[in-house]
Amino acid sequence: MITVNSVTKTFGEGTSEIRAVDTVDLEVQPGEFIIIMGRSGSGKSTLLGMLAGLIRPTAGTIRIKGLDINTLNDNQIAELRSQEIGFVFQFSGLIPTVTALENVLIPTLFCPNGPGNRETALGLLKQVGVADRADAYPGTLSSGEMKRVAIARALINKPSLLIADEPTGDLDIATESEIMALFRQLNSEGITIIMVTHNPDLIPCATRTYRMSQGRLKREPDSPSCPGEQRTRDENTDLR
Amino acid sequence: MSQKMHFVTLIMASIRNKPGRNLATIFCFAFIAANIFSAQYLMAGAAGNAEKGISRMGADSMVVPAQYEVFIKGAQMGPATVNGIVRVEPSNFRVSNNIMDNIRKVPGISDMSPQLFVVTHAIPELSSSPVDIYGIDPDTDFTIRPWLHHPPEKILGPNEVIVGSDIAGEVSSQIVVSCQLYTIAGKLDPTQSSVDHSIFLRMDDAYSLAAYEANASPSFSPVAKGDISAVLVKAGPEADPEMVSARIQQPFPSSYLRVIGRNFALEPVSQEISGLPNLLNMISGVVVLASLPLIALIAAMVAHERQREIGLLMAMGAKRKIIFSLVMAESLVLAAIGGIAGIGTCLFIFSLLNSQVFLNSVLQITFITPQLTRISQMAGLALLVVIAIGSISSLWPAYQSSRMNPYDAIRGNGS
Repeated sequence: MITVNSVTKTFGEGTSEIRAVDTVDLEVQPGEFIIIMGRSGSGKSTLLGMLAGLIRPTAGTIRIKGLDINTLNDNQIAELRSQEIGFVFQFSGLIPTVTALENVLIPTLFCPNGPGNRETALGLLKQVGVADRADAYPGTLSSGEMKRVAIARALINKPSLLIADEPTGDLDIATESEIMALFRQLNSEGITIIMVTHNPDLIPCATRTYRMSQGRLKREPDSPSCPGEQRTRDENTDLR
Repeated sequence: MSQKMHFVTLIMASIRNKPGRNLATIFCFAFIAANIFSAQYLMAGAAGNAEKGISRMGADSMVVPAQYEVFIKGAQMGPATVNGIVRVEPSNFRVSNNIMDNIRKVPGISDMSPQLFVVTHAIPELSSSPVDIYGIDPDTDFTIRPWLHHPPEKILGPNEVIVGSDIAGEVSSQIVVSCQLYTIAGKLDPTQSSVDHSIFLRMDDAYSLAAYEANASPSFSPVAKGDISAVLVKAGPEADPEMVSARIQQPFPSSYLRVIGRNFALEPVSQEISGLPNLLNMISGVVVLASLPLIALIAAMVAHERQREIGLLMAMGAKRKIIFSLVMAESLVLAAIGGIAGIGTCLFIFSLLNSQVFLNSVLQITFITPQLTRISQMAGLALLVVIAIGSISSLWPAYQSSRMNPYDAIRGNGS
C-alpha cells in the first residue's frame, strides 16, 4: 500500500537547516492500523504531510499504491489525495461557512466522478453519530461533533488510506474513546489508517506502533492488548 | 435536492461569511459601475440632444441685417444664441423680403424661409416669461415645424399659431394675444431656450399684429408689409454650406446684410457639450485607477485570511487551478452584484429625477433620454468594466493562493 524508502525532509539551509524527518523507512500493508507516537517537534506531522502528498520529501521515495509521488505533478498528487487519501487534522479543519453536511460533501467537488453524494454523506454522518447535526454550522458543534464530521468528510470519497494527525488531541476521555472506537470500526471495514497520537493508551489499538524522535522512526514492541480487538497485520490484510 | 454539491455553494457561503467586508467591496464595485454608467448615460443624453438638435436646426446660415450681428455680439448671447438658427433673436432690425429674390438665385440652396420678429409681451396667463411673437412662412418654414410635438395634419392657417412648450394651452384651444384670438395649431417640444416661450403665426397675421401694436403703442417700431427680420437658409446635400454663405453674401454690402453661418449658432452648444465627455471620462478613469489597488488590497487580505481554508481544500484534493478559480469567482460574483446594484441605483435615481426635466436644468442643455437598447449597451459596458476590475485586481491574490503550499497554509505559514 505505502512504501517509504529513506525519506528525508529538511527545512532551511546551511547552519539553520532543520532535519525534520531523517532517513525514514516504512512499509504499510492494506488494512493496517499504524500509530506513530513522539514528542512535539519530532517530525510526526511532517511525515504524515509527506505521506499525504502535502509536502515533498527532500530525499528518498514514497510510493502509494505503486505510484512514486515524487514523480507526480501537483495536479496528479491532488487527484491522488482526492481519490485515495482521507485526512483528519489535529484541529477540526471544518470550513466554518458551510453546514456539517456540506463540509462532508466538499471533497466530492474535487472528485466529481467519485462515489460521494448527499445520500452517502448523510450515511457517513449517521455512521459517526452526528446525523442529527447535519444542518448545523461548525460554530455550533462541540469538539467531539466537529471531529466526527471531519472523519465523515475524510471518508466521503471512500479512500483506501485514512491519515489522522492527533485526531483525539483536544478531546475528553469519553469522546476520545468514542472516536477511537470509530477508527477501529473503520479499520475493521478495511480502511488503512496511519495515526499520530501522544496518547500511549491508544497503542493497543494499532497493528503496529512507531515512535518518532529527532526525525527518526523506530518501531515499538507490539502491545499485548487492545481490549478484545488485537489483530495481526495478516488478519487485517485479509479484510481488504 | 441535488445529490451533488456545487462550487457555487462554497462561493456563496464564503461571501456570506463576512457580510460587512463584502458589502464594502460590493459598494466599491457599485460606485465604479454607477460612475461609469452615469457618465455614459449623461454623455449619450447630451449627444442625443446634439444629434436631435442638429437634425431639427435645419438652417445652415441666416441672412440678417448687418446691425443684427452687432446686436447679437453686443448682447453676448449665451447658449440661447443657438436658437438663432431656429428663429431669429428678438430685434427690431429688419430688411425687405426682396432680398429673397437674390438669395434664391444662389446655387446650392435647398430651403429658405423668412422670419419676422414682431413683439415681446408679458402675458402672465400664457407664460411666466415674456412671450416673443414671430411671423413665419408656413409654406417654406423648415426650422420651426420639425420641433412640433405632433405635426399638424394641415398647414398653419389664418389666426392659427404654433406655440412653444412653456406657453399655456393645448392644441385646438384658443389664446388671446394683443386682443387677437388665435387657435393653437401645434405645440413644440421643449428646447430649453426662449423658443419655449415664443408664439409663431403666419406672416399675414404677423403684419396685422404689428399694425395693431403700432396703433396701440407709439414706441413700437413700425413694421412695413414685406419686412422680415431674417432669412434662414439651408444648403443642399451636395453643397458646401460655407461656400453657399459666401455666395449669398457676395451681392450684398456687408454694411447692409450679413450671412451668419451655422458654426456661429452651434459653437456655443458644441463648446458647452464638448467639455462634458472629457470631464466625465476623466472622472471615470480616475475612479477606475484608484479602485484597482484598493480592490486588489481587499482581495489580497481576503486570500491571506483564508489561507488555512485554502490549504484544507488543497488537502482534500483541490487542484491549484480550482483554488485560482474559486478566488477569482468570488471576486467576480462581488463585482457582478456591485455592478448590477450600481447600475440599478443609477437608473432608479435617473428615473426619480425625471431626467427629461431635472437633467435639462442641471446640464443647461436639452437632455434626451437614451433608447433602451443604448441603455442596455451602457449597462453592459459598465458591468464589463467592473468585472474586468474585479478580475485584474484578484489575479495576483488568486495566483498566490493557488501557489500556496497546502501544508504551510494549513499551519498558517503560507505566504
